[in-house]
Amino acid sequence: MNIPRNFKHALTILGLTLAVTIPSVHGFDGPEASPEKEQELLTVLRSDAPSGDKAIACKNLAIYGSSAAVADLAKLLPDAQLSSWARTALESIPGTEADEALRTATDSLEGKLLVGTINSIGVRRDANSVETLVPRLQHADVEVAAAAAVALGRIGNAAAADSLRKSLAAAPANVRTSIAEGCVLCAERMMAEGQSAEAVAIYDEVRAAEVPMQRIVEATRGAILARGQDGIPLLLEQFQSPQKPLFQLALSIAREFPGEEIDKALVAELNRPNPDRAALVVQAMADRPDTVVLSAVLEAAEQGPKEVRLSAIDALGRVGDLSCLDALLKMALDADADLSQTAKATLAEVPGEKIDSQVLALLENAKGKMYPLLLQLVGQRRIDAVPELLKAIGHSDKNVRSAALIALGETVRLQKLPVLISQVVSPKYPEDAPVALQALKAASIRMPDREACATELATAIDGTKAVPTKISLLEILGAMGGPKALAAIGAAARSTDAQLQDSSSRLLGEWMTEDAAPVLLDLARIPTNPYNIRALRGYIRIARQFVLPEEQRAEMCQKAFDAASQTAEKKLVLEVLKRYPSVDTLKLAIKAMKVAELKDDATQATLVIAQKLGGKGVDVKSLLVGAGLDKVKLEIVKAEYGSGATQKDVTEVLKKQVGDLPLITLASASYNTSFGGDPMPGSPKQLKIKYRINGKSGETTFAEDALIVLPMPK
Amino acid sequence: MSKKSPRVPRRRFLQTAVTAAGAAVMAPTIIPSSALGRDGFVAPSERVVIGGIGIGNRGTYDLGCFLEQKDVQFAAVCDVKETRRLAVKKIADEKYGNEDCKMYRDFRELLDRSDIDAVLIATGPNWHATMAMNAARAGKDMYCEKPVTKNISQSLILAETMRRTGRVFQAGTQRRNLPHFAFACELARTGKLGTLKKVFAHPAGMQAMMSGWLVPETEPDKEVVDWDMYLGPAAWRPFNAKLLDGFNFEKGGGLVGGGVLEWGSHCVDLCQWAVGDCPPPVEYDAPKDGQLVARYENGTELIFRETGWIPLGSCPVRFEGETGWVEAGDSGKMVLSSPELLAGRTVDEIGGYPATYHVRDFLDCVKTRSQPKGNADAACNAHIACHAANIALHLGRQVKYDNATHQFVNDEQANRLRSEALREPWRV
Repeated sequence: MNIPRNFKHALTILGLTLAVTIPSVHGFDGPEASPEKEQELLTVLRSDAPSGDKAIACKNLAIYGSSAAVADLAKLLPDAQLSSWARTALESIPGTEADEALRTATDSLEGKLLVGTINSIGVRRDANSVETLVPRLQHADVEVAAAAAVALGRIGNAAAADSLRKSLAAAPANVRTSIAEGCVLCAERMMAEGQSAEAVAIYDEVRAAEVPMQRIVEATRGAILARGQDGIPLLLEQFQSPQKPLFQLALSIAREFPGEEIDKALVAELNRPNPDRAALVVQAMADRPDTVVLSAVLEAAEQGPKEVRLSAIDALGRVGDLSCLDALLKMALDADADLSQTAKATLAEVPGEKIDSQVLALLENAKGKMYPLLLQLVGQRRIDAVPELLKAIGHSDKNVRSAALIALGETVRLQKLPVLISQVVSPKYPEDAPVALQALKAASIRMPDREACATELATAIDGTKAVPTKISLLEILGAMGGPKALAAIGAAARSTDAQLQDSSSRLLGEWMTEDAAPVLLDLARIPTNPYNIRALRGYIRIARQFVLPEEQRAEMCQKAFDAASQTAEKKLVLEVLKRYPSVDTLKLAIKAMKVAELKDDATQATLVIAQKLGGKGVDVKSLLVGAGLDKVKLEIVKAEYGSGATQKDVTEVLKKQVGDLPLITLASASYNTSFGGDPMPGSPKQLKIKYRINGKSGETTFAEDALIVLPMPK
Repeated sequence: MSKKSPRVPRRRFLQTAVTAAGAAVMAPTIIPSSALGRDGFVAPSERVVIGGIGIGNRGTYDLGCFLEQKDVQFAAVCDVKETRRLAVKKIADEKYGNEDCKMYRDFRELLDRSDIDAVLIATGPNWHATMAMNAARAGKDMYCEKPVTKNISQSLILAETMRRTGRVFQAGTQRRNLPHFAFACELARTGKLGTLKKVFAHPAGMQAMMSGWLVPETEPDKEVVDWDMYLGPAAWRPFNAKLLDGFNFEKGGGLVGGGVLEWGSHCVDLCQWAVGDCPPPVEYDAPKDGQLVARYENGTELIFRETGWIPLGSCPVRFEGETGWVEAGDSGKMVLSSPELLAGRTVDEIGGYPATYHVRDFLDCVKTRSQPKGNADAACNAHIACHAANIALHLGRQVKYDNATHQFVNDEQANRLRSEALREPWRV
């Protein structure tokens, strides 16, 4: 029979899915591991070893065990703690002994343990267990009955299927859903084995049963696909179902159903009175690109309810071709903004070189609103049409010029870049300048040869006297980056023009590569430069954020200290030192302690760096003693963490972290993690600490996740 | 020369005022305009009603993405931890200005609600596959965090179950809807790099683990932490608060993946996409010099390495063809062998975020019944690659995998590691 392509795949997976869960019973002589290994593990099971050890032994027996291990594993099935550990091994050990052990266990187990054992029988697909399982379909415990039904479904042979079918109607409602699930599993297996007629019979029985909608959905899916092409009427019936899940099922199956007949049938669904549903149907049609009836999608796009039109226009973006171009162009100019926007988006995406060629051809004689629309498409589709665009930027209509400039920005190459530059520097129509600038930026940042492009822009900066234009071009250079751009912006920053100094120093402060550092430092060292502090902060930013060798970072920090004339910048440098602990940064922090206004911050930085280094095994004792930071005796008296009245006592946690510095490092940067949970989710929290250092009492409070450096009590 | 970056897979016709920014790109269609107010309000009957299960750190991030969508109604939360239930209810109720978000300790009660269309599953990975298949049987669509499965058998059953039940499944592999990753994968998939030779995944922490249980601690009250429900399908072990970090939970027992599964579900998944979501590799060499080489049927190599060459953020991927290469990572950036590969665009223009696209993709597919990017078949293949690599790591030798039979070739030990029993009463 003609099994649907995707269903064939589904069936293959089903077969494999079930196959993979079955140990390869035949032809297996036991694992490669030695019997000694198995014996060691069995010795653990037979001993008084802790349950944890026995659990891991079971896990290893899943790999190394043989039928010799079955009896010992089976003894653990009644053990609520070890039962599933044992079943992992029993599920994987080949041979009939494991099957028999699981079957035997069902005689004595109850409740969850019985359910688990039945589940394992299902995993092993033990055909000999059907007689064991069938009576359990009537078990008083619903969970047991349900497990038996699904296990029979997984076994899936004729006997299992028969027993499930006979039980379907009479079973209590709360078990019937599992029996239906078992039936569907049997039917899937039959389909996989080519017994489609039997499968259809089962699916139809489940569809007719009083079971939850999801079971109906599963059975209906199978019933449609198992019928092959004869399933189309049943599929179409679902499109008309008042039940949303069945309509949704139809949408799903429509995508995987084989052949071309279904495509023709779907066309009829577009003409049904419910436009919301038709809009979804057209999406399903477009998800069948090989066989879709394109003319029907196009027709739906051109006329009918707006919901359907929008969906169809969108769908053309995936399946449309040259035959749709005229209609899409017309719709892109529709007075309805929704239709117009959707059509424009589709035009930008609809695949095909022929469409590019046709857009180019139409451009030649385009007029009115069609002209800027086509130009816009040239840009969006990256069509190589520079001569046509250059012609259009001289057009009398501003809309045409704007569309052409934007398209030029998307497509122009380096050789023609000066054309765009001239539109910025000396535009024929001054009102075009902003659009030209936008286009020039788009073009510049995508140029493969960045340095050549930057040279063009730098030349343009030198060639114009208009400061706003210079600044605009500098901003483009800033967005591009690279050595030539950096040099040009650096030169502008050293100019005498205040506006250029302002914009250039700002651009340098945001530079994304470390080579801006010397340029910024030079600017920072010019006392008369009004932006020297901004430059210094940009320099410090590089030291803080960029990946640098330790020595280079420390050297930068030293230079920043030397260049800084104000305390604020010096404190920023201390932050950098804290962030990157090394012996060099520690020495710098200690040195900063000698500056009166930095003493407290530098001391804190020193302690933080010292502790981090100490944690890595670096001996910092001599440096600290030299800085007058001897060891202290720290005692935690009381510590609470929380918000408002909700406080958690964390005294003991902090006590465990006390060292010989007035600093506490927690196990995690997160207070919540360190203190075993969030005492007040969603609320700002504080950590309050009462403590003694060298016998003197102190008290302080930290915001959530702050660094815990305890002030020396006065 | 149509040189376009891959579109972010959103159905434009479904777009409406669904973003928090409120800047509707275009008017709605499927959602009738009559159902919309001036502020883009979506009528309750047109919303996708969502329930959240296991909403910790990652889940809260996902929840934020869902709550941004105006056609979503987040109606219920289930968590075994009381603090999480309360925290999520607070977020949802504050969002909607009511007290309607219902709380559950047992996810089955949430799944029983007929008004809930779909669920966000963000429990620890121990629960993902079992929870997903329970949700499918209950007729719910689902967005399920990664790693999705614990072993090869679960991966196959997941794909089969989603197909049989007709449910929409989206793995939380949001990279499939991030533009720069999508662009890089499309370069590889469409031959722009020449014949593809090597795809690199960089799952930090490559090691397979097999460990026992931790020291028993006093079990909390069920209302505070329902330990039995937290264990769920995992083999029993005593309570220990350290195991309450969901992501690391499986370190408590069984063969688990370390980085190969945890990070592999991110980056191996992308490698799979780069090779066209074909069946997973058929050979996995023994680990050597910090890397593990696997080979697809056509000879293309999937190489697991600890870290990438270029600092592009966590867990990058790199695709190498005969004529070019591209590397991309979580920073939202990518580096290419030639700017020509960008086809006139820039890395910034292609962009890297937001991750909300992935949630949007899911919601659109819930409505259209199309397949989302992180569908169950794709997730199945990617996870099998991770599990097979883990088995090679665990055994310390080469293993060969047959995609037709889904068995390792003449390798009983490896085959036995394809599955493990679930604790009673759970089944997949």
